[in-house]
Amino acid sequence: MMGNIKDRYAIVGVGESKRSRKSGTTPLHLALDAARAAIEDAGLKATDIDGFMNYNENDSCTSHQLATYLGVRPKYVKDIQGGGASTEMLIADAVSLIESGMLTTVLIYRSMNGSSGTRVGRGYDPDMLQGALSGGSFVIPYGSASPSQWFGMYATRHMHETGITKEHLGHVCLSFYEHAQRNPNAFLHGKPLTMEEYLATPDISSPFNIHDSCLELDEGNAIIVTSEEKAKDCTSRPVYIMGMSARQCHPHTHYWNDIDQVASDYVAQEVYENAGVTPEDIDVASIYDCFSWVVLRQLEAYGFAKRGEVGEFVAQGNLKIGGKLPTNTAGGMLSEGYTHGMNNALEIVRQLRHDYKGTDRQVEDCKIGICTGWAGPDIAGAMILRN
Amino acid sequence: MKHVTTAYQKPIPLKDHDNKPYWDAADKHQLALQKCDDCQSYAQPPGPSCAKCGSQHVSWENFGDDIKATVYSYVVSHRPFLPGFQDELPTIIALAQLDDVPEVKIMGNILHCEEKDVEIGLPIQMTWVDITEDRALPQWIPVTN
Ligand SMILES: [Zn+2]
Repeated sequence: MMGNIKDRYAIVGVGESKRSRKSGTTPLHLALDAARAAIEDAGLKATDIDGFMNYNENDSCTSHQLATYLGVRPKYVKDIQGGGASTEMLIADAVSLIESGMLTTVLIYRSMNGSSGTRVGRGYDPDMLQGALSGGSFVIPYGSASPSQWFGMYATRHMHETGITKEHLGHVCLSFYEHAQRNPNAFLHGKPLTMEEYLATPDISSPFNIHDSCLELDEGNAIIVTSEEKAKDCTSRPVYIMGMSARQCHPHTHYWNDIDQVASDYVAQEVYENAGVTPEDIDVASIYDCFSWVVLRQLEAYGFAKRGEVGEFVAQGNLKIGGKLPTNTAGGMLSEGYTHGMNNALEIVRQLRHDYKGTDRQVEDCKIGICTGWAGPDIAGAMILRN
Repeated sequence: MKHVTTAYQKPIPLKDHDNKPYWDAADKHQLALQKCDDCQSYAQPPGPSCAKCGSQHVSWENFGDDIKATVYSYVVSHRPFLPGFQDELPTIIALAQLDDVPEVKIMGNILHCEEKDVEIGLPIQMTWVDITEDRALPQWIPVTN
């Protein structure tokens, strides 16, 4: 179905604001910084952009505000509530709107004071949560109110069935922390992690300790999507979209009743089919990493290692640069930054453009990359890109 | 005047249009489950129609008060994410797989259980804790012989 858009749309600009624990400014300022950086990266003028989109959790600025202060009167704005996998969904929406002829170039952003402002998953009213979550009254009264606890329930069972150990979770963290040491913009740059330290860190909620959990930071990220023809007007090297599967769901309305499958299992089949490639063709990956285990479960779902062999795959160092599947090469959400996945999307674009050529950060000669999103076990998306 | 010094601090399950029969049964220390009359599957949590086949023909079945299960999965939480849990750490949150209806899994805390003793497959049974004058919360305890 998506064959007709294959390689006809491209990501032509990426940019980010400063990241910190306390920005001292508003999400609008962070979004403007990210958007200006992405526009400059693409070699475009702000007025070349006619569509603006963002995802948020009522913690950001609107697309209309952003466009206004870039000096642009947009033809189209869209603000959705969402976290993980929203980057992929909005890119798919942008492609559809450009394909329909309504728009030519779309800027997508995520901007948040995720540390100094509203913190994801904290301080919600318990009664609100019971109503807001599907089946919330069966979960909240038992103290389960954090994604670490919801996803941990999946993790404990999956680890039991597949032989994944705490040490395997540690290998995910160590691989990404190692990447962060090469990235001066990573929040945990200068803070390497050893297995000994990792294993000595007490759990917050089993099987996860602080290293297994993503950062909480203030930052803004932006991505610009346009058509293949329009990409020729840009100064950046275009990264083409080979295939997408934007927003698949777990098959049942309430996911705690079935913790044995995840939405990513359904995304994988479709994204490879649309892109016309197989897992063996992927040179570099950005895998959504809100928690370490989420990476392991997706490695299985996307076919990078067989069920039961995923732990060994990461223990062999395959997620590191030089491994079989260099993953989250800027440090990921565990150690670079956290914008509900968009920072991982920025990195895969930079890798495929060979922006790091000549340094120890570049995945040499990489041609094809995958970027996955995970809103939860219930909702996921992915895209496959090439240079 | 009534004393409220030991008021229950934790969230109390909210009854709604679809889950009311479950919580009404729980208040009487019993388990009730929603069942699809067409495809015969049980739904936990219950919903406005069957999530397996979409049928609107759903009814409720009472399972009484002798409910046995095993631990399907669990987490041990060392931090309170909600009010009322700060004094009972660590909290064991488990998904219980019912012996009689294995397709049904019910979340709950395992009470009277040490962190080191919880494991997948642990036999547990449902118990009910009276949390207010008219509300009771289904919970789990290890089966003791
Ligand atoms: Zn049915």
